[in-house]
Amino acid sequence: MSDALQSLSDALAAAVENASVGIVRVEGRRRLPGTGIVWSSEGVIVTAHHIVERNENIQIGLPGEVIAPARLIGRDPNTDLAVLKVEASTTPPVWAGGSDGNELKVGHLVLALGRPGTQVQATLGVVSKISEPEEDRKRKRVRVEGHGPGRHGGHGPGGRRWMWYAEAEMFGSIGPVIQTDVVMYPGFSGGPLVDASGAVRGLNTSALAQGSSVTIPAAHVRSVVDALLAHGKVKRGYLGIGAQPVRLPSALAEELDQEIGLMIVSVETGSPAEKSGLLLGDIVVSLGEYAVQAIDELLLLLSGELVGAETTVRVVRGGQLIDVTVTVGERE
Amino acid sequence: MDAFIQQLNNSMADLVDRTRRSLVQITNGQGGSGAGTIWHPDGLIITNAHVIAGHGDLLVTLYDGNRYPAQVLAEDPTHDLAALSIVAADLPTIEPGDSQQLHAGQWVMALGHPFGVLNAATGGVVIGMGQQLGDIQFRNGADWLAVNLKLRPGHSGGPLVDAQGRLIGVNTIMNGPEVGVAIPVHVVKAFLKTHLGTPQKQAV
Repeated sequence: MSDALQSLSDALAAAVENASVGIVRVEGRRRLPGTGIVWSSEGVIVTAHHIVERNENIQIGLPGEVIAPARLIGRDPNTDLAVLKVEASTTPPVWAGGSDGNELKVGHLVLALGRPGTQVQATLGVVSKISEPEEDRKRKRVRVEGHGPGRHGGHGPGGRRWMWYAEAEMFGSIGPVIQTDVVMYPGFSGGPLVDASGAVRGLNTSALAQGSSVTIPAAHVRSVVDALLAHGKVKRGYLGIGAQPVRLPSALAEELDQEIGLMIVSVETGSPAEKSGLLLGDIVVSLGEYAVQAIDELLLLLSGELVGAETTVRVVRGGQLIDVTVTVGERE
Repeated sequence: MDAFIQQLNNSMADLVDRTRRSLVQITNGQGGSGAGTIWHPDGLIITNAHVIAGHGDLLVTLYDGNRYPAQVLAEDPTHDLAALSIVAADLPTIEPGDSQQLHAGQWVMALGHPFGVLNAATGGVVIGMGQQLGDIQFRNGADWLAVNLKLRPGHSGGPLVDAQGRLIGVNTIMNGPEVGVAIPVHVVKAFLKTHLGTPQKQAV
């Protein structure tokens, strides 16, 4: 009768063991060390930005109690990710996981793993929420659809790239997240969320959402890591405005089906905004085809892919809706 | 898949059914109560030292509801362990497992009386084991066992068992709101050996 439970127990322990070769300790702060994931055979290690408090003298604790120095390649505070490279000739084992092709679903068992000490530690839980494209359509502030051309002028980036945008409402400019009820033990930040087979599904961090831990999905980690390896930073778009949310006049609010806009309170000299003719007092209501009602939304929309591209910013000026074409710059 | 979950539920219910008979309730005569684990059929019971702290008249209630006055045989506050004795025989015990061969991620269940809810069970996984667990450094030099379980007042002294229902630890404390900490059974054995000595083989 106990066979099913023993099977589950063995499978969970095996998942941990499978994953453990690719999990390292990251010593980059005075307090308790955190965890990192071996990302490639070239010694690339991904961890949480907030546990790497110093830029030098970073040590990596490899399985088998080997300690190797590592170099900081780059950080992205927005997603709380940092990329390190082990410099020693001891190349850490290649991370053997990766998606097994099964889609992660709400209700799946998952484990959070950490190596704040010499041994890998594990906690178990269930996936509570995953960003889904369907959710976007339920929120009017996220995606405006079903309206004729000209309503929100211009053609912004469309399609699946925005599938995770709904999460932005909760998590600012982080991007996509997986939420679970898995307990993150101290020192688990930077470690992986693994599925029942031990495959890495994301990277856990406690620094992005107050009071709870979230997981950055593996695909998004990969895009950030690729950017950090290529440029040492994550490219982000830049307009050069300071703005604050204001309530729109009721007639406009009704026409746009949007109650809040962002009033421009400063325009930086020489910025893309200034060059495009955006003015103090303009109220931004959309960027491309997306309604904008919060600074976080604007930041998220200004992704690196927009850098150098022409985008339409729709503003309220003197009570009228005006489309202004901006060439998006790059945030330094 | 339904069938598998059903099997799991059956496995757990079966395991709890078997091991719960070795769980006892301990009251210290001063309003406090905790759990204990029957170690030997002749009435040897282990629990946490903090369960019997300031002990007045200790009373042990077995799974069948029978009550016995208990005598303290040994107490070690440093390791938070105590051994009690009641005058009884043929008590059900739990086969000890090897707590030095535990794996992070493996399934465990804790039995006890959380907040006075009698004979309750809760399940989770092993987080890790050792003298230092993440941010807590234990000063008594013994191994400790961290589990993904919410241990509550009333769990203390009760058994922690593996997926086969073998005794691998004694529920002891919480570290923060989410991490349960247990004393592994090999530390319990060392405690008993130190304080009670090796049982003499009797000539027949």
